[in-house]
Amino acid sequence: MIHFYNVSKFYENQTAIRNITFSVEKGEMAFITGKSGAGKSTLLKLIYVAEKPDEGKISIAGWETDKLKESSIPFLRRNIGIVFQDFRLLDNKNVFDNVALTLRIRGVDENEVKTRVFDALKMVTLRHKTGSFPKTLSGGEQQMVVIARAIVGEPTILLADEPTGNLDPDTAAGIIRVFKEINAKGITILIATHNRELFRNTGRRVIRLDTGNFVGEEAG
Amino acid sequence: MFLSYSFRLAMQSIWREKWINLLSVLTIAAGLLIITLALFSIYNINLATKKLPEKFSIMLYLKDGLSDQDIGNITAALMKDNAVEKVKYIPKDEAIKELRGVIKDADYILEGLNENPLPASIELKLKQKYFDPSTVKRLASDIKRIKGVDEVEFGEQFLTSIHSIKTGVQTLGILLIAILSAGIIFVCYSTVKILFYRKKEEIETLKLLGATRGFIRAPFVIEGGLLGGAGGFFGMVGALAFYYGLFNRLTLTMPLFKGVVFPFEMFIFLPLVGLFLGITGAIIALGRIRF
Ligand SMILES: Nc1ncnc2c1ncn2[C@@H]1O[C@H](COP(=O)(O)OP(=O)(O)O)[C@@H](O)[C@H]1O
Ligand SMILES: [Mg+2]
Repeated sequence: MIHFYNVSKFYENQTAIRNITFSVEKGEMAFITGKSGAGKSTLLKLIYVAEKPDEGKISIAGWETDKLKESSIPFLRRNIGIVFQDFRLLDNKNVFDNVALTLRIRGVDENEVKTRVFDALKMVTLRHKTGSFPKTLSGGEQQMVVIARAIVGEPTILLADEPTGNLDPDTAAGIIRVFKEINAKGITILIATHNRELFRNTGRRVIRLDTGNFVGEEAG
Repeated sequence: MFLSYSFRLAMQSIWREKWINLLSVLTIAAGLLIITLALFSIYNINLATKKLPEKFSIMLYLKDGLSDQDIGNITAALMKDNAVEKVKYIPKDEAIKELRGVIKDADYILEGLNENPLPASIELKLKQKYFDPSTVKRLASDIKRIKGVDEVEFGEQFLTSIHSIKTGVQTLGILLIAILSAGIIFVCYSTVKILFYRKKEEIETLKLLGATRGFIRAPFVIEGGLLGGAGGFFGMVGALAFYYGLFNRLTLTMPLFKGVVFPFEMFIFLPLVGLFLGITGAIIALGRIRF
């Protein structure tokens, strides 16, 4: 589902990713870990084509990203649900409209938008907050809205960047539970986190990065 | 289609930034109103100069003692010219009759003359499309060479000044229209640009969620179009107010304005012109959207 072949990404005076090769298979739920600045976020950005690799090849859900026309990028991204580290919720829209955005972008019929948004909100147990605005929600609730927005479009891949950021351990555990449920539906999930607690005893594959280098894999 | 959603977004945005938008609409309306007035002036000056050839004529004064045959030859020579619409022969006695009519009170001038001092003449009218200074001058010099023609007269001064007024007003009007159209496009451009920058973060998010260029652009293009269209509508209202409030009264009191025509069809199109300019400005403002 996700394939990197000898991929490198350099910023002006910084190597973010160096010669990395790895794959995440369909239906897998895997973690990327490493300390801050290791290149986790950059790796995710390369997947959703917010960045282009300087070396190597990337293939996502069957799309070769280097052969991708710019006008096709939106259609690749529609296969990917993203849980952004900084949420990227629209403050002037309520929970419903924020989640619905994913579907409206795709031109989904308004009736279908309603049922699918409520289904997604049910999955993250936030149906009671449908009309609330992001600023009035707790950090954990906001995170759940972002997850709902990411899955409502039924992506084949779900990416999450530090999804438990500053959340308390219980809330974090709740979020991981939701990810497992989503994964159980066959969606491939890749989670970037510096928090080792998150994957401890999950038995899932963990990819370790250190200053842009691949330093090994382990089972969580 | 996502267009109904885009329309909703545009309406929300117009309402949220109502003051910026109102200001733009009024500016556009003012610009379009001035354009209308410029077009109105050009239109009327063209109309007025179109009627001129009917009034304008070239006079040929003939030498004395020409036979009917000679006069027939001269008329035939004149009619051969493409530019000539019609010719009218005015014999000596008719000329003096006309003069008598004009100088009723000063008929002492003609007293005691035993010979008619006025020459016979030919009045020549031009076809409308040949009515311009260069043709008239060319024709006049051709005519002078015809045997039997003594003198040729036409309002040269009048002709050239009318012509230069006409071309002057036209150039000025077109220049004004071009500048104002560019100004209106610029107003729409700036407004959309401001709104676009205010939503930069939001647009970035939309891109990451899989929005196409069309989806991102549509609300802004709709908004630019609505601004321009509304500006056009208010410009039209202004033009109507101008017509009923000022122009109509002027024609009643000042006969000078009697012949002036207000072309209504012209400003029915104002909202459409505004719409077009608004959309153009918006598209320029959005530029190339990169992912
Ligand atoms: N846009 C950027 N411009 C310059 N350097 C960047 C940029 N994004 C990331 N970096 C650098 O690349 C390295 C990896 O960053 P990142 O992928 O964000 O790490 P992580 O998410 O693991 O904390 C860091 O050293 C960071 O400073
Ligand atoms: Mg990061």
